[in-house]
Amino acid sequence: MNITLTKQELNFRLKSAPEYGQASFAGIITLALGLVLLLNSYVPDEGAFRPAVLAVGVAYLVFAALQFVVWLLIRRNLIAIGEITAGTRIMGYLLMLSLFTANVFAATAAFQLVKKRKTAAYTLAVYTLLTTLLVFAVSSLNLFKPYVSNGFLPGMFLLLVSAVVQLVALLLIAKSANGTKLPRWMWSVALILIATAATGNLFALFLGLLLISKLRDKGYTSGSKVGDIIDRLSRSSTSMLGLLFILFLLALSISSYLTFDYGMAIDNNYAAIFQPPSLEYPLGTDNFGRDLFSRIVFGARISLVVGLLSTLIPVIIGGALGAISGYYGRQTDNIIMRALDILYAIPGILLAIAIIAAFGASTTNLILALSIGAIPTYARTMRANVMLVSTLEYVQAARAFGSSDLTILFKHIVPNSLAPMIVKSTLTIGTAVISTSSLSFLGLGVEPHIPEWGNILKLGSAYLETHSYTAIYPGLAIIALVLSFNFLGDGLRDALDPKLD
Amino acid sequence: MTGDAAATGYGFIDRIASIYNKLFVNPAYRPLLLLLGAPITLILFGVYQYRKTRDGSTRRKQEIRSELAAAGMKEQLLAEAIDRLSRKHRFFGQSVTKERLKAEAERLAEAKLNVLVEERIHETSAAGHSQGQLTFSETYRELMGYPLFAALSFVLGLPMYVLMAVYANPYAKYIAERLFMALFVILGVAFLVFTILYISPMSPAANILGETATDEQITAFNRLYGLDQPYLVQLWNTIRDIFTFDLGRSFAGNEDVTVSIANKFPVTLTLTLISTVIAVIIALPIGIISATRPNSFFDYTFMFIALLGLSIPNFWQGLIFILNFSINWSWLPATYNPNNWLSAIMPIVVLGTGLTAAVARMTRSSTLEVIHEDYIITARAKGLARRNVLWKHAVGNALIPIITVIGLQFGGMLGGAAVTEKVFNINGIGSYIVDKQFIPDIPAIMGGVVYTAITISIVNVIVDLMYAFFDPRIRSKMKQY
Repeated sequence: MNITLTKQELNFRLKSAPEYGQASFAGIITLALGLVLLLNSYVPDEGAFRPAVLAVGVAYLVFAALQFVVWLLIRRNLIAIGEITAGTRIMGYLLMLSLFTANVFAATAAFQLVKKRKTAAYTLAVYTLLTTLLVFAVSSLNLFKPYVSNGFLPGMFLLLVSAVVQLVALLLIAKSANGTKLPRWMWSVALILIATAATGNLFALFLGLLLISKLRDKGYTSGSKVGDIIDRLSRSSTSMLGLLFILFLLALSISSYLTFDYGMAIDNNYAAIFQPPSLEYPLGTDNFGRDLFSRIVFGARISLVVGLLSTLIPVIIGGALGAISGYYGRQTDNIIMRALDILYAIPGILLAIAIIAAFGASTTNLILALSIGAIPTYARTMRANVMLVSTLEYVQAARAFGSSDLTILFKHIVPNSLAPMIVKSTLTIGTAVISTSSLSFLGLGVEPHIPEWGNILKLGSAYLETHSYTAIYPGLAIIALVLSFNFLGDGLRDALDPKLD
Repeated sequence: MTGDAAATGYGFIDRIASIYNKLFVNPAYRPLLLLLGAPITLILFGVYQYRKTRDGSTRRKQEIRSELAAAGMKEQLLAEAIDRLSRKHRFFGQSVTKERLKAEAERLAEAKLNVLVEERIHETSAAGHSQGQLTFSETYRELMGYPLFAALSFVLGLPMYVLMAVYANPYAKYIAERLFMALFVILGVAFLVFTILYISPMSPAANILGETATDEQITAFNRLYGLDQPYLVQLWNTIRDIFTFDLGRSFAGNEDVTVSIANKFPVTLTLTLISTVIAVIIALPIGIISATRPNSFFDYTFMFIALLGLSIPNFWQGLIFILNFSINWSWLPATYNPNNWLSAIMPIVVLGTGLTAAVARMTRSSTLEVIHEDYIITARAKGLARRNVLWKHAVGNALIPIITVIGLQFGGMLGGAAVTEKVFNINGIGSYIVDKQFIPDIPAIMGGVVYTAITISIVNVIVDLMYAFFDPRIRSKMKQY
């Protein structure tokens, strides 16, 4: 055994296996979550522990300990022989049990650990299954309610079916060796997977499309660009977890049409005012006896829709203006950019307040107000990219072939300058979510009767002293969503970075 | 044109003349130049016209043109152009109507003929008398040779010379142009906000007077506040009011809007400024240390905290602070009070969190980028100490994008302060606008938004000037253009 490694060699060996970094990340997060749960299980007024929370906290700590053991094993393996042994990888199956405590951090690390050669398809399949399982688990909390919605049983059945399909797909993909040609029957697997994406699980859609592109490719090329990007993205655990949370919320808000009862979220129930968190009301109830948990689940729908729309609209308008301005230059550029400078001078929130002051508070006006304020940023980003790309040789070639300006611009230049726009828009969806809830908190956003996270928080903030959880949980939901978008944006920026090509 | 400056012996005059020519050639400055020096422009115009007729250049042009036409030059050029165009269309497989082809060919032929005429004139003038080309700015140069005209022009065209002095100094020119842009932006903001409020379907009169208000009452209200006047009149009044700091009285409460804003704005500005300074002091070292140890535990932890800071909504952070520091532990007062500096701590921290996070992240990435540049390796190879390289060579150059972020975020903070102000019950401009928007109280909202935008524009001008201060590349670019 070679013990006298230099520091550089050591670092190189440890970095050669992504599992090492993932294990330490999962370990630290699990430990932190366990400690937070333990702290919260203690009720200082009574001097006692809440048994349920305590049990979960202890379970987290156990898995954290296990994760650290695995981490040490990986470290030893890497230092000793430069790769992870099969014995260490088997430990991953044990760590998968952490899924029962809803610990996706340890679970994703475990799934990465057990497979030696990971493909983009495998990673996607894991996340597909995880998303469906999480949605299923969260929806099944409704079982403890006095009644469930009419669509609950069919909804849960559909979720279960898609979970089984996705599990089968995961096993099939894990079995098929890396780089070989996929058998023809994979077509049906891919199509069934795409069908399961109807639950809102976009991972399944991505996976199905990836499989189809591989099947059509017939192994002629080394891999598609999308597969490449997914490969790179999946190496960063934080961005994949961010994507997992976003798509989990999306899937949950779509399946909530069947599995959740809207009445729980909006109907007053004066018999159950300010119930503390329990199995029936997982996050407690508010001052009208409405279930906070259902309200937050339904709020996710609005936050996602407003966040996505108020990013998509300025991306399209700003992108088009920026592209025209960057391509034609001179007077066109001057006029467009000077006009946008005016918009740029007014801070987004202030402009939104002015627009809402003029047209009244409603969801549509909110989306428009946030969109208009964001146009100049996207226009500037797009303009810079288009100016850069239009100097490239292939644009000159297209012009020499007599292509019209519009063809050159929208067929050759714009698709090649989209990457920074994608990164920027991912990062700003988070900002849009914050702005939405901030404006709702001020009473200028979504109509007050709709369970939107900012509205829930506004109600809860009145009871900060007595029932602070009504203000804390929606805030945590906002932070988790925004953080996820930020992580995803950071990961995308690294994955789309042309310097890495 | 400046080439023969030494030959004429009037160094100073030639310099002025060359600046005049530069301004004259520049399409953006030309009208301004002619307008500011109106009396001189008139004199020059007269002299120029007189000389042109005496010079006979137009007559000669006509002669040469008819000479060329007689030689069949025009037909020849036209045939060439038609041939060229039809070949081009054949290559690209385009089909063009005969009339269009003809029109395009005529245009090309005419342009070519003009070039030929110019060439001929140039040839003959070069062969004959060696007088300089007769142009407007050349006339100015010649006239300035007479001391009497020069003295007269300094008296009559003082504004023009001020413009020329500004133009001659690259820094002054840059600052002047930047200020002009800021003025344009401010006017644009006033126009935009006013238009938004003008086309609003809300009726302030109905909101203030209540549902029972009669039509006469509403008409009287609208007449009192000038809301019945046409759009352009109202717009003009508003813009005038903004620049004269007299926005009239608010619809509700009948208070002087400018006085209210003047009372509230400093509160917001002070809090924002303090939290900006504190944020930068905290964020810069964190970002630099993270960049010097990339991918270490320290780096990951701080960048995670920074991302968390970017993801926390201000109002939630404020509520949690109040819950812990005021309600649970009673350390700090929950609401802001100008006489108690302890009460300012929480708002400042909440306001500064986002900026701290953004600046720390930007510092890290821009320092990382800079320390991988070649000149840093050179500095290290020279044997400079690590500390010297980092602080003298890396950080200075990494500051430019950081300043951009600070400038941008400062604007965002000033605008987003409304939320924080509402949480801590601060009597600032943000909560003022929010309170007034339900009516909507047009003068108050106009004033609040436009004065905030003006402040942000001024900050942006300062940021742009700071670029020049920090970045030698931008300085040299400024001198070139």
